[in-house]
Amino acid sequence: MRQENMRRLISVASLVILALVFGFTSNGFFTATNILSILRECAITGIIAIGVSFVIITAGIDLSTGAIVGFVSMLCANLLYQYALPAGLVMFISILAGTICGVLNGFVVTKLRVPEFIATLSTQYLFRSLVFVFAIRQMGVITNKKITDPGILIMGGSINGIYLVTITFFALAILGQAILKKTKLGTYIYATGANRKSADLSGINTDKVRWAVFMITGFLCGIASIFEIGRIGSATTDLGTGLEFEVIAAVVIGGCAFSGGRGDIFGTAIGAIFMAVLQNGILKYNLPTAAQLIIKGAVIVVMIVFDSVYNQYMQKRIHQKASEEAQAAGGEV
Amino acid sequence: MKKKMMAFLMVGAMAIGMLAGCGGVKTDSEAASDAAGGDGKAAEETAAATGKDAYSDEIKIGFLPNVIGDSCAAAWAEGMESYLGNFSNVTFNVFDGKASVDTENTIMEQMINEKYDAIILQATDAAGLAASTDKAEAAGIPVITCNLDADTIHTGLVSGVDVEAGEQIAIRIGESLNGKGKIVIISATPGATKGENIDKGFKAVLEEKYPGIEILDEQSGEWLTENANTVMNDFLTKYQDIDAVLCHNDAMAEGAAEAAKAANKEIQIWGVDGESKMLDYIEQGLCTGTVYTDCQKQGAACAQFCMYAIGSGITAKNLSATPIVKMAPIVVTKENLSEITEDMRW
Repeated sequence: MRQENMRRLISVASLVILALVFGFTSNGFFTATNILSILRECAITGIIAIGVSFVIITAGIDLSTGAIVGFVSMLCANLLYQYALPAGLVMFISILAGTICGVLNGFVVTKLRVPEFIATLSTQYLFRSLVFVFAIRQMGVITNKKITDPGILIMGGSINGIYLVTITFFALAILGQAILKKTKLGTYIYATGANRKSADLSGINTDKVRWAVFMITGFLCGIASIFEIGRIGSATTDLGTGLEFEVIAAVVIGGCAFSGGRGDIFGTAIGAIFMAVLQNGILKYNLPTAAQLIIKGAVIVVMIVFDSVYNQYMQKRIHQKASEEAQAAGGEV
Repeated sequence: MKKKMMAFLMVGAMAIGMLAGCGGVKTDSEAASDAAGGDGKAAEETAAATGKDAYSDEIKIGFLPNVIGDSCAAAWAEGMESYLGNFSNVTFNVFDGKASVDTENTIMEQMINEKYDAIILQATDAAGLAASTDKAEAAGIPVITCNLDADTIHTGLVSGVDVEAGEQIAIRIGESLNGKGKIVIISATPGATKGENIDKGFKAVLEEKYPGIEILDEQSGEWLTENANTVMNDFLTKYQDIDAVLCHNDAMAEGAAEAAKAANKEIQIWGVDGESKMLDYIEQGLCTGTVYTDCQKQGAACAQFCMYAIGSGITAKNLSATPIVKMAPIVVTKENLSEITEDMRW
């Protein structure tokens, strides 16, 4: 079996085991409503994780996604409340704003040559400050307002119980997987992450590729923001706080390597569902907060350590196989 | 590559547009209302017809505070537990909102899915929790808010005093400064109704009775001691003369007091809530006063409200406005500290 398929199988098996554990040890886990709810909960993380997977496959990182969601949501609420713009236009502006945030990240990383970690950590503060710039104020005091525009609220809705955000997540995941596996951009993304120098030497403009993945991430953050405020019916100043870590955890659990060049959107989708199942199941036990956080942290650590060990094992096996083949062919190792 | 990127963006935008325009899409509360029995009327009949006997049927009540790690939430939970513990048919679970709108919405969703019989909610953000409160009410689950309410009609709110607390503190500060002085405010998380109401009462009294008192600045301490400490440090470096500080809760007043102590400044510091630690601070002269609420009693009142709502089948559908129960306010300073006896402290 190919290494990629084996890794996918392990991700799926981990998810199934986790679901079975919760299913047999808690009440109401395997109900249609709960499963639909899990799929809804994973969708926002999942949509952003598609973009972050692209970034991580290029051996980058994006820590600004939560802040972009916070900023775009607040912008969206502001445009609806202060300017009463039509929902369609607000959605377009929101997605555009998210994309511009991504473009800015790409600019800082590729043109100003700031390492991704520092660049996106800095822009995270910038985007978070924009939340307060666009916050709705009454008598000088920030006041969060209920969104009443049905065009936005419908984004938090469902068709026959299946949430629009879930449908969008799966549609975007398929599109993301297709981009990675079937397009030149996908090939360039893998090449950039596997060995940037080699990719550069082979004629790939890796700066353009890295810029593109940040832009895609921003675009997806814009989409996620619309669904987030559709669901909550408001934008608050703390919206999206800590979301970037949930997203990165989902991506890594899904099999994308921080070292770059490995992973795909199928795995990321599994990772996002895994995180939602974990959160949902833990809540069902009614454990104290400390215990909940310990379990969640421990499961994530186990998964990430496993991924690292597995990765090392597979690398070793590949080298071993190559050396055996070379020996069999009578060549030097 | 540019073309593909554009195609990607266009497909995304079109998908969103198509979904938004898609017929048959139901919002959360519409879907919940349908699940509870079709249209609004049917749901109402269902709730009334199948209304449980709160004191003999299996009942599940959930309490979702803004954050579990503060003394108010602990005292509310204790009060709820001590009352509900008298009924063996009641299961009572406490969750942690982690001071996050997103987390509170997720937990609300889960409680709705698990068909809780009633939810006691301390909403981190009034507007941000309105949609999930609507969903719960539409599903026939009464939502009782505790102190921080949701910006929608729901079964009930059990509130500590807020507007009145602001008024009382303004009067005390106004009198002590003889109508002249400079003050700063360390406010609640933006959007929290309680904070807005304390401000409303406080500013209205100052404007009407003490126009000589100037509010120099107002910054959010997000309900937290450490944030309030930082904010107060900023105020102390920014303004030479501060006569008094209003904090929207005791936890923030304690943070402000530590900052004032470190800067060796004597400033009146007022909080709201009346937690034991604050009473100690008042006793030690670090803080000036607070408006005390018996949070254990408030918690018990929330639980009683729940049992009443479950038994009577009342939800938001039967109401034109949210009924409010207010706890009695007691202004506590060093002079009357002994009125808050040991058994009243939390």
